[in-house]
Parts: sequence; C-alpha cells; structure tokens
Amino acid sequence: MRGWATDTLAASLAYVLASILTFAVLMPMQNVFFPEYPSRASLLFLPHGVRVLSAWLLGWRAVFALLPGVFIVFAYLAGTDVFLPTRLLAIAVAVLTVPAVFYLLKAVGWDLFPNPNRKPCWICVMGVGIATSFLVSGLTNLVFGSATVEYIAFLIGDISGLFFLMLGLYFAFRFADRRPG
Amino acid sequence: MTEISKLTELRKLMQSMERTLGLEKLSPVERDIYYAAEELSKSTQEVRTFGLIEHTLVQSISRPTFFRALKSLVEKGYLSQSGSANRGRYIVHAPR
Repeated sequence: MRGWATDTLAASLAYVLASILTFAVLMPMQNVFFPEYPSRASLLFLPHGVRVLSAWLLGWRAVFALLPGVFIVFAYLAGTDVFLPTRLLAIAVAVLTVPAVFYLLKAVGWDLFPNPNRKPCWICVMGVGIATSFLVSGLTNLVFGSATVEYIAFLIGDISGLFFLMLGLYFAFRFADRRPG
Repeated sequence: MTEISKLTELRKLMQSMERTLGLEKLSPVERDIYYAAEELSKSTQEVRTFGLIEHTLVQSISRPTFFRALKSLVEKGYLSQSGSANRGRYIVHAPR
C-alpha cells in the first residue's frame, strides 16, 4: 500500500512539475521566439515523457499513479470544464494509452518492461513514446475536434518532450553522482 | 519492484541512452587506448595487450595508468576480454 502511495505521489508530482515547467516557462519562451506560430500547443511537452517513463516503470499501475496529476493539470487549464465529458475522455486517453501500448507489445512478444536480467532499450522506449504520441494526439484531437496544425504541434511537443525529459534526467543523475557524500 | 530497483532501472535506461548518444565521458588515456584498439582490431579480430602497449598512441602512457584505463574500458563495455583461454586478449565493441 505504501508502495502505491509513493508511486502515485512521485508520478503525479513529476507530471504536475513537468506541466508547470512546460506551461509557465517553455511556452512563454516559445511565444517570444516563434510569435507567428499559430498553435497554442507546446512544442516541448515534457508531461508526455512522464507518461511514457511512468508506464514503462510501473506498468498498469501508472494509470492510477498518474491520474491525480493529470486531473490537477486538466483542472488548472480548464477550470470547472474539467468535468465535461470531452475533458474526462481526454484524461482517460492521457493515462491509458501508453500503458496499453506497452502491454500490447508485450502480448505480441516484445516485452520492453524493466527486467533486472537485461539491459533496457531506450530507443525502444522512445519508439513507444513516438507511437503513443500519434495515438494520444489523434485521439485527443478527435475528442476536441482540433485542426491539423494542432495535431502536428502535439506530435512535435510529445516527441521532443520525451527526448528532453530523458536527457534532463540523465544530467540530473550525473549531477547527483558528482555530489560528494 | 522496490523503490531502489525502480531507480536502478531508470538509471540503466539513461546509461543505454548515454552510450548511443556518445555522452559517456572517456578520459584522454582511455580514448587513446580505445582508438588504438579499434585500429588494431581492423587487422585481427582480437587485440592483444602487448600489441596495444606498443601502439604509437599508447607508448607514452605509464604501465599502471594503461592497465587502470584498460580495466575501465572493460567496465564501460568498450572492450571485453576474449573468451579464449589466453588472457590479455580483448574484443573491441563499438559505442552503443
């Protein structure tokens, strides 16, 4: 039970922090550097990275671990509209798609989940991130009925977000290793 | 999976990324030995310690530093000891 609570706290907190960084820091910068860019979607959407890594690490438990974080972010962005059926559907898409793809791949014999007896394949995890980005973007745009430009922006944001989150995590580990004690 | 093993798996994932992107830092001595080994491996599949020591890139390196760096390259997966009975033979691996 304690493990569940820790997983939920860590995954949801990571999702909220990644969202804050995306919406409060990266998007204002994007608006400064690309003022003519028509879409309101972020071109560096870090929360997708949190979704992918949580699903890879926690499996189906990621659905419940991410749910509070995803709900908080949707509520922050949409206010009371978060309870609209389209928003609730988008929340479901956000938390369910990535674990579903990992399990689907496992079912067809390509188990990418962590295993102490083998080396993890980051390119495969990136691959799942890209595939799920297509799915999440497609399904989310279907729910909201957005334009094609939004769909492409979601894709770019998700893929770059996953890559840069992993890169950031790599440098964070390296920084932690350098600290004495 | 415990919290520690989750962290370990995450670190292993980052390590595999490090290799592919060439982010892993090799010391100048390690790099020289690796380049020398790579060159020698073009003519023979296995590289002998004796041949490595004599390579122009490695000649000026002291023996203790050479062996420390060689051990480090094995640990980092750039070289592996040959499976044959004769010790002191290494197989060169491309950075993954």
